Amino acid sequence: MSSEKKSSKFSGASKYVLDDELAEIVNVSMSLEMPLLLKGEPGTGKTMLAHAIAESLQMPLIILNVKSSMKLIEALYQYDTLTRLNDSRFGDSKRDVSNIEAYIKMGKIGQAFTADKRTILLIDEIDKADNDFQDDMLDVLDQMQFDIIEIDKTIKARHRPVIIITSNAKKDLSDPFLGRCNFHHIAFPNPDMMRMIVDVHFPNLDEEMVDVCISTFYHLRELRGVEKKPATRELINWIRALKSDPDFKPKMLRQGRVPFLGILFKKSADFYQAAQQIKARG
Amino acid sequence: MFVDFFYTMKERGIPVTPTSFLRLQKAMNMGLVHSLDDFYTAARTILVKNERYFDTYDQIFAHHFKGVSFVDPTAVELNEIARAMLEEWLKDPEEMADALGIDKEKLKKMTPEELIKYFMDRLKEQTEAHHGGNKWIGTKGTSPTGHSGNHPGGMRVGGESKNHSAIKVAMERRYRDYSQEGPLTKFQMEEALKRLRRMAPTGPKDIVNVDKTIYETMRNAGEIEIIFDRRLKDRLKVILMIDNGGWSMDPYIDVVQTLFHYASSQFKDLKIYYFHNTIYSRVWADPQRLLKPEQVDDLIRRDPETRLIIVGDASMAPYELMHPNGAIYIDATPTGASIERLRFLAKTFRYAVWMNPMPSYEWDYARTTQAIRQIFPMFELTLDGLEKAVQHLTSLKK
Repeated sequence: MSSEKKSSKFSGASKYVLDDELAEIVNVSMSLEMPLLLKGEPGTGKTMLAHAIAESLQMPLIILNVKSSMKLIEALYQYDTLTRLNDSRFGDSKRDVSNIEAYIKMGKIGQAFTADKRTILLIDEIDKADNDFQDDMLDVLDQMQFDIIEIDKTIKARHRPVIIITSNAKKDLSDPFLGRCNFHHIAFPNPDMMRMIVDVHFPNLDEEMVDVCISTFYHLRELRGVEKKPATRELINWIRALKSDPDFKPKMLRQGRVPFLGILFKKSADFYQAAQQIKARG
Repeated sequence: MFVDFFYTMKERGIPVTPTSFLRLQKAMNMGLVHSLDDFYTAARTILVKNERYFDTYDQIFAHHFKGVSFVDPTAVELNEIARAMLEEWLKDPEEMADALGIDKEKLKKMTPEELIKYFMDRLKEQTEAHHGGNKWIGTKGTSPTGHSGNHPGGMRVGGESKNHSAIKVAMERRYRDYSQEGPLTKFQMEEALKRLRRMAPTGPKDIVNVDKTIYETMRNAGEIEIIFDRRLKDRLKVILMIDNGGWSMDPYIDVVQTLFHYASSQFKDLKIYYFHNTIYSRVWADPQRLLKPEQVDDLIRRDPETRLIIVGDASMAPYELMHPNGAIYIDATPTGASIERLRFLAKTFRYAVWMNPMPSYEWDYARTTQAIRQIFPMFELTLDGLEKAVQHLTSLKK
């Protein structure tokens, strides 16, 4: 497996602009076989990173979207009792009713463990779940195995997946959790970096348009009293909208008019604030 | 290797663990670290688990590998900041007043010298005690007085790192902005209060109850009988009482507003009442405390399982709380001392907490605060405090 590791070094993907620092962090985490915990403002590409790694290393990506009500077992496996009950009554399926294993379905973590090749496991928005879920999950990921109690069987990971965990919360995760992860905080990109990101997404956009969009965007991020500042994701969507509008001219932005404000500011209070301040500036 | 480096981090307050240090050694043995730049990145990702400490890490790194001394703002730096601030002040006095937290009118009367002195005092206060982030002007992300060259709210990153040595990067202290506690946002409140929810079955029956289904199927001689249940939904009732009167609550309006916004968007069954300083016979449903009074006695008809959250600084003149005729309103009918009212509320609602926006070390200075603490469990109105309050509310057993 070590030879495989060396050949697979992450160096960026077609739609993701990677800085050296982050590339190094991803590679260190992969080599140490540690989960990588990513924090940062929403919309700065935490989730995108996992997609980019999957694309660049040609590994299948398995995404576990964490929900607040989620129990760990759902992420591991599910025992489909209802189908079994149905089969036992009617007996018209090919499954063997006395074999419980036929009714066990793997959850996302289970899928990553049982996959034929090494996978990327993205655990998205871990902060939504409660602390118990987080700690228990790290136990599973640490030992790379879990038990299916219904059939008394231990599932061991065939290949250790590359684990990327994202969190939006400012609140700290628990200490034992942090102790088992590598950590990185994705800072908000500076205008030069942002330019590269925009270029990757819109290769044929003309210079003037990019300039004016980015400068307007950074200006808008500085408006006062806005709770959720627009991030990279909002900028990309906004440029997409501007591009598809035949009436739009880059000149308009220079004159202080900002169309499609709703793409950038998604909370009504923020939207109102922004509209007011743009108007005041004239 | 780098044991000193490790211990400096520990001394400077970064929570590093021996395990993670060993892990760093492992990374180096595996040949993952080829240069100082690599070391900077690898050590940070492995050892430092919160962006709050990135700035401290940068300083330690610069200190350790280049002998840069730990910076408390130097005289030159201070002058630089002062100069920048003065410029800003000339451009936009209003914003300046906001940033410094001084009254506009007062600011206008200040001479530049006075202003700079005021500013320096604030800054020194900060370098002496590292608490009280609200006074930390120098690195406040949105403050127009931002440290020379620090882009407000944003940091240099990435693209440039090729041209910079790790030490230079560390010396830039890109993570300054993160080293202070952010204000309590709606999102954080949501995180804390989410656990308050009380799940109860409501809505259409669309979830299969497996145990009952099997039981009923057996009773039905093997003919499948599927039993559905209702989904679990949050049925929590909350009463929020906010002290919105008087100057003493003014500094906390922002944080209370955030709580208010969160609560009104989150809880289906929420009643908000207002009071001034403490509670007498009535509370009001309108913020002006004029139009919609509600008799406190009537609250006894509410579900006793309702969670009562009172927000107030709990500091007032003692007679307001203790004296039977202490009410500061002329038209208020005497109904006994306010403290009796509070006891009544605490008795009516088992699940009750008092959130105090003042920092807890100030609580001991007000006698009334101490008195109220004996009636309601009191918590700071911060993220930590909220979490503790929620923990308290959920840990109460029937």
